Amino acid sequence: MIEVQVLGKHFGGVEAVSNLSFTARDGAITGLLGSNGAGKTTTLRMICGVLRPQGGAVRVDGISPHPDRRRVQRKVGALLDHMGLYSRLTARENLNYFGQLHGIAPQRLKQRVDELISLLGLQPVADRRTAGFSQGERMKTALARGMIHSPNNLLLDEPTNGLDVPTVRSLRFFLQRVRDAGACVVFSSHVLEEVRALCDNVVIISKGRLIAEGSPGELCRQSSCASLEDAFVKLTGVAEVPAC
Amino acid sequence: MLNHVLIVARKELMDALRDSRALVSALLYSLLGPGVVFMVSIALKNKTQTGANDGVLIGMMAVFTLVSAFVGGMSVAMDVLAGERERRSLLPLLITPITRRDLVFGKWLAISFFTTGGLLVNLAGFAAVFATANMAIPGNVPRLLLALLCGLVPLALFAAAIELAISTICRAVKETQTYLSLVTFLPMGLGMFLVFFPGAAHAWWRIAPVAGQQLLLESWMRGREAPVLESLILGLFTLASAVCLLLYAANRLEQDDVVYGS
Repeated sequence: MIEVQVLGKHFGGVEAVSNLSFTARDGAITGLLGSNGAGKTTTLRMICGVLRPQGGAVRVDGISPHPDRRRVQRKVGALLDHMGLYSRLTARENLNYFGQLHGIAPQRLKQRVDELISLLGLQPVADRRTAGFSQGERMKTALARGMIHSPNNLLLDEPTNGLDVPTVRSLRFFLQRVRDAGACVVFSSHVLEEVRALCDNVVIISKGRLIAEGSPGELCRQSSCASLEDAFVKLTGVAEVPAC
Repeated sequence: MLNHVLIVARKELMDALRDSRALVSALLYSLLGPGVVFMVSIALKNKTQTGANDGVLIGMMAVFTLVSAFVGGMSVAMDVLAGERERRSLLPLLITPITRRDLVFGKWLAISFFTTGGLLVNLAGFAAVFATANMAIPGNVPRLLLALLCGLVPLALFAAAIELAISTICRAVKETQTYLSLVTFLPMGLGMFLVFFPGAAHAWWRIAPVAGQQLLLESWMRGREAPVLESLILGLFTLASAVCLLLYAANRLEQDDVVYGS
């Protein structure tokens, strides 16, 4: 479970996140929905412990990343916007490296790598250097890397950017399986259809602040709108684009 | 944890050894000095007395040797941090439960393999030049080798540390390349300065990295017996300087702009 309480972060004069609070439960997919620059990425990075908040607190399974960053990082897997791979290493070698950094014993690591390669359909490219990988193959390898240590909490930052339809669907099914296994999944996106299809709970963020929280249906009822898109526009006050 | 340090070092070594172009360019840089000295030795062979030739050639050797400690690891240093940021693979690495210090020390170990390797290849090249040019190595050779090891190998480790620290600050490989190229002027510039102002060196220069190694090589060139104890003290101060740079680099990785810089 991930608990975010009155979280705040600013970069110089820019307030990226302000007084943000929400809870992402185990066995559910929580969507962070917001426009570009809303504060979704900054929030996810604070949960992972790579950014230090200036206000409020984050708890992952009851543990705060400051001061216990490494303990939290053992419980969190992430596929963030930076998903670079080592191009001179094969997909398997990339996974092995991160598995070793997580302290997984060699025998167990081999099993886990094979498991993830099979689960994500990476068998054709597992022993190829990642230099020539397609966007979908890169995303799957990066996702496997984030899950190598079998974390109970998974963070994804706009994971479907640039992916084709079959890959998006396979990712969706994968996340639903992970959720059904009891993990806490936090998924940030600005694609409403994705959020509507996948998320059990949606947190709408705008200019670093919480605007609304609830299931897609609850948000529609709350805003008296027929679709999540209309609900988002109404709740955030995003200006309509004038018709051509 | 030493285990994490070794895991990072092993991966960086494996990665770097697969970059054949960078390996070839590092090898060429390391052999550049011996190559140039060999060609100059041939050109000077019949023009002046042998003793005078040897003095000029040994002077050139000192500068090339000091530079070789820096250039061997430049390519790897650019790749391990600035390159990671450019490739957007640094953030996933910072999310693993490894301390920044272990991460930096692991990468430093890998760079050190190449800086030390470059230095040793350079020295081996010069040994071959000495043999083919029939030049006499002044002084007691085993004592000289011991003094060089105590004084020069720490310089290679220091070079790796300074290159890593610069790579931590820079945001892209090209930027790192610019600053690392300037760093190689440090031994060259010091060498030239001491040629024109030989009396300018203060006593504390003998334990300062780069300056100390320059003075060590010069005193040997002027016929003084290789000072093993002095080299050891210089080596320890050089290593201590390297550790300070590494701790600075580890602290840099805690800053927000490391994550947002790429």
